[in-house]
Amino acid sequence: MAYGINGRILRVDLTQASVNTEFFDDNLYRLYPGGKALAGYLLLRELPPGTDALAPENLLVIANGLLTGAPISASTRFTVAARSPLTGAYGESEAGGFWGPELKMAGYEAIVVSGRAKQPVYISINDDKVELRDARELWGREPEEVQAAIRHELGDKRIRVLQIGIGGENLVRYAALTNELRHFNGRTGMGAVMGSKNLKAIAVRGTGRYLDSAHDAKPIVDLGRALGKRVKEHPQAWDLQVKGTPALVGAFNAAGILPTRNFRQGVFEGADNLKWEAYEKELLTARGTCYACAVRCKREVKVDDRYQVSDAYGGPEYETVEGFGGYCGVGDLQAVAKANELCNRYTLDTISTSVTIAFAMECFEHGLIGLKETDGLDLRFGNAAAMLQAVDLIARREGIGNLLAEGSKRAAEVIGGGAHLFAMQVKGQELPMHDPRGKVSVGLGYAIGEHGADHLYSIHDTLVANPDSIGFKGASPLGVEALPAQQLGSAKARNYAILENWCSFGQVVGLCYFGPAPRSFTQIEEVLTAVRAATGWAMTLADLLQIGERATNLTRAFNVRNGFSRKEDTLPERLFQPLENGPMAGTLISKPEFERTMDELYRLKGWDSKTTVPTRDRLRDLDIEWVADLLGV
Amino acid sequence: MDLHLGSYLSWYVPQKPSRLVIHLDRPIALMELVERLKLPPAEIAIAAVNGKLVSLRDALVSDGDRVELHPPNGGG
Repeated sequence: MAYGINGRILRVDLTQASVNTEFFDDNLYRLYPGGKALAGYLLLRELPPGTDALAPENLLVIANGLLTGAPISASTRFTVAARSPLTGAYGESEAGGFWGPELKMAGYEAIVVSGRAKQPVYISINDDKVELRDARELWGREPEEVQAAIRHELGDKRIRVLQIGIGGENLVRYAALTNELRHFNGRTGMGAVMGSKNLKAIAVRGTGRYLDSAHDAKPIVDLGRALGKRVKEHPQAWDLQVKGTPALVGAFNAAGILPTRNFRQGVFEGADNLKWEAYEKELLTARGTCYACAVRCKREVKVDDRYQVSDAYGGPEYETVEGFGGYCGVGDLQAVAKANELCNRYTLDTISTSVTIAFAMECFEHGLIGLKETDGLDLRFGNAAAMLQAVDLIARREGIGNLLAEGSKRAAEVIGGGAHLFAMQVKGQELPMHDPRGKVSVGLGYAIGEHGADHLYSIHDTLVANPDSIGFKGASPLGVEALPAQQLGSAKARNYAILENWCSFGQVVGLCYFGPAPRSFTQIEEVLTAVRAATGWAMTLADLLQIGERATNLTRAFNVRNGFSRKEDTLPERLFQPLENGPMAGTLISKPEFERTMDELYRLKGWDSKTTVPTRDRLRDLDIEWVADLLGV
Repeated sequence: MDLHLGSYLSWYVPQKPSRLVIHLDRPIALMELVERLKLPPAEIAIAAVNGKLVSLRDALVSDGDRVELHPPNGGG
């Protein structure tokens, strides 16, 4: 077995109630070293095109990355992937926390779950001992109780529990998974896939050590220590620790690109109530972290005031603060924290939930739905009580919630009357809280991303706009060019492609977006050092970027086989229209210029600009010519 | 003058404050203020005075103004 990996994949067939362990070939692991690459490889090979996302035949792949569990800050992430019930495309979501590293310690790189259990079960993994256990008593119960019950039943408080709440059980199409109650695989509805399999939880306990499998442990230990010391000396890492992502509210509002009232506006008049200073005063109780991470960017909150917010489910990140804040017209941070708690309790993706509710608010204000459809719920922008009630209805699939649980795209099709213009989604997945009118690469990512709109496909333009900034200097080994944030064109397409490969690589090996440069403090050369030390592979930076590009091609091939083409790689019409207020009022994305940039991006990627099918030449260059055979090109 | 230092701009100032109240006897160039606080101009991506975006190089600020400075921000 190669260094850095244990190569074991756990196969769980819930229909047959069987469990098997198989070994993944070393040479294959070098091409697909975990996360998105391993999940993409398995799904592309094993899942027939057209498989219903909520049918037993869908496969739920949970994959660690090569560096998941290494004692280095930000090496905590694991991927959950399947065909998405929200988009019908390749679905994927990463989470940090402690569960992925624990799975690594138990000796597994991945779990592939197939079939559907006859009744609710959970999987218990304790090193080599794996069993399916009865979860009938856990079904319908809240994550806090479920975690405690599983730990009690198995007699070990150190067990890590990955689970779904009632959002997943009720097949809300954007249901999430949670581990340790406060870390989430939020996007693309992976929680609904888990729920469709009658799988409540996966409990893991492992006693191995990451460093025991490493080629050379010392550089990894040294890097982990250096990062631990550097966190307070590095402005970006310090900021993530002290203020965290909620600090973005103030920046985007000042810049006029804070997504407000369903992307109509860029400035929210109630933003002062949502900013970091308000967060610190009204919500914050402590800072939390993930396995071995010195950044400590997680927020702990508790509220006992206008709203009661439990301290069990972690605090809202920027996406959630703004999603349930200005995006829904609500300038009350305590209401936002309550919405966050409800979503976390029910395991709903906070981005899709808030954006779908804002969609419904705009439909309501335009008279496309009324009090009759909402059962009396006055679903206007700014109505915090109605917003919170909507979260509850969605999780339970009751009343208007049953429609909104389908996501904004499907709901718009049912509502009709132009409602699709209010559905801020790509490929069916709702947009995060970043306005591409102020940073166009984010729009390229929303459009071309395999699993629908996502803000973490690439690096945001602003970080590499100034050649003297920390962000640009951090990214410079990648060979990017300093370009204005709103500039489209071929140079921007090139920057995007390089930075997308870098981010994709991170999603393959299990690195958090808040670890490496240019977003944070681990220098790119240090990431290369960690990969070399873990594996002994004589890799270059170009090899790392190729790992990222290869993974993206696998997931693109998955989408092509499921009927996706250029027409789904687009943006909501509203982003081609002007912002209505603030310093960026009147700013829009030029559609012709955007499409020309997309053309250039396909050319750089080696994909056909109409069908988006990767060329055989590019697939050969990436050592995956078998994909060309599969696609018939 | 009410000065807000967004995200990691606080890091460059002793005590790392998110907000500073500064008394100005006369209007000064925003760049003078930036230099006085030893903030690196390359890390200032957004400058706003009283809710309006301004050019870091050209703006003047006065006592009573509300000034916001933010670094380039990425995803989160």
